[in-house]
Amino acid sequence: MSGLILDDVGFAYGDNAILERIALSVPPGQFVSLLGASGSGKSTLLRLIAGLQSPRRGRLAWNGAQIAGPGIERGVVFQDYALFPWLSMVDNIALAVGKAKPHSGKHERREEAQDYLRKVGLEAAIGKYPFEVSGGMQQRGAIARALALGSPLLLMDEPFGALDPVNRARLQDLLLEIWEDGDGKTRKTIVFVTHDVDEALYLGDRVVILGSAPGRIIADSDVPFARHRERRSLFCSAAFQHKREAIAETLAADMLEHLATA
Amino acid sequence: MNDNAAIAGDALTLPPADNAPATRPALLDRILGWRDPVLFFAALFLAWMLASQWLPLGQNPLLPTPARTFAALLDSLPELWRGTISSLLILVPGFLSATVLGVVAGLWAGSSPRVGNAVFPFARVAAPIPPSVYCPYAIAILPSFQLSAIFLVFVGAFWPIFQNTVAGAHALEARHRDNARILGLAGFEYQRRVVFPAALPHIFAGMAVGLGFSFILLTVAELFGANAGLGRFVQYYADFADYPRMVAGILYTGLVTFTAMTVLEALRRRVLFWVR
Ligand SMILES: Nc1ncnc2c1ncn2[C@@H]1O[C@H](COP(=O)(O)OP(=O)(O)OP(=O)(O)O)[C@@H](O)[C@H]1O
Ligand SMILES: [Mg+2]
Repeated sequence: MSGLILDDVGFAYGDNAILERIALSVPPGQFVSLLGASGSGKSTLLRLIAGLQSPRRGRLAWNGAQIAGPGIERGVVFQDYALFPWLSMVDNIALAVGKAKPHSGKHERREEAQDYLRKVGLEAAIGKYPFEVSGGMQQRGAIARALALGSPLLLMDEPFGALDPVNRARLQDLLLEIWEDGDGKTRKTIVFVTHDVDEALYLGDRVVILGSAPGRIIADSDVPFARHRERRSLFCSAAFQHKREAIAETLAADMLEHLATA
Repeated sequence: MNDNAAIAGDALTLPPADNAPATRPALLDRILGWRDPVLFFAALFLAWMLASQWLPLGQNPLLPTPARTFAALLDSLPELWRGTISSLLILVPGFLSATVLGVVAGLWAGSSPRVGNAVFPFARVAAPIPPSVYCPYAIAILPSFQLSAIFLVFVGAFWPIFQNTVAGAHALEARHRDNARILGLAGFEYQRRVVFPAALPHIFAGMAVGLGFSFILLTVAELFGANAGLGRFVQYYADFADYPRMVAGILYTGLVTFTAMTVLEALRRRVLFWVR
């Protein structure tokens, strides 16, 4: 069985149930947007898929192999641009290249790392250190690093959450460009966590919504818009508005219910 | 373009008086920043001068005048220089081996819960023992004075470096640890590429403390059995009641310590340029 499979996954911190009965099947190459209220367990779910944490119950598998720990076939981009501050941008990315290609030489790694930095528009920042570049550039670096790792599954936890709208739109387009670049075989599978309904719809093939307390899937629907989406016309279309409303309503209902029970 | 050039040209030809307000505060601040410490030094020096001249200390003044002290210092420079070499031959091996072992052991104990669990109770008992109490034993047990002195310096510097390295490893941010795991970094590579650099600010703090202890233990050891060295120099002339030379030795030792600390601080700034 290829792709990502979550089967009856449950997770708790102590007695505090965080995730319950999560069942999800993501075919290879699909772009899944994961929405949900704050605290609903989106990051926790991503950490389980990444193998940074183990589920209390249920099973997670990637391409038929059970997930038992982190592996470079599952790359992660966190929200807080976590490049290593003691390494230059190029060395940060070269570290990932070295993991993807253990037999490559030092020179080769740096060359390839530079290619990835160029790909995300960071040509000018190659020799710089993370503290010398802006947050948006650091986040590009983190994306370059995840790409350099060559993971067929990419997990992204609110990667653009801290960016200004212009940088955010740019990086969304960059991500789509890179993702659409791959053909049916090489296209990455992406699980993309966001709070932003527009972003979820603009990027995703499918939108999954996590309800709160405990986190469980309360909605799962395909995004019906054709690819090579054009931001402005898409956002103005009635179909988009409609879909957007429906998702916002689901989210609001969950939050209200949570407020009532809390 | 032309306008800009004209403005720039004007600025260059403006009379200096108009430029002064922009530059003067910075320069003034620097001078004022130096003024107070210099004044303080001058006050201390003056107090020394007056005290040595006017305090009734008998035939053999315990407080020599600055002039006599500096004469003694100049006169003793060759001997002090030999003493410096002799002391550094103890200090450098002791401090460096403490740094290497303290960092390696600290990273290991700090990032492996099992090793930490085994080692920390012992460290908690052993670290607070003042290393100077080992002095007679070390001199008795080790074949040469130099070796026992190196050992003492090592013990003095080891614990602060070890403990700070452990603290540095424990302070590793969760996001860096997560990223390292995502990238498949493990074992030695994980230590070298992630834990060690992340712990460097703590390691340098430990090294600064350790270096201070090193000097203390070095001079303590030299009081016991050296035939050369800075501590020995001071002790020797004190025994002969040659206080100008003794005070000169103290001042000189202070200078050497200050230099060593400055070198370490410069190294820290260089290595930790990425710390904001
Ligand atoms: N280390 C932890 N120990 C105990 N509880 C935790 C821990 N980490 C997270 N939680 C709890 O787990 C729940 C889910 O957290 P998680 O970070 O997965 O939410 P999220 O959906 O990503 O929220 P956000 O949108 O704010 O990022 C929260 O209620 C949180 O308080
Ligand atoms: Mg989160």
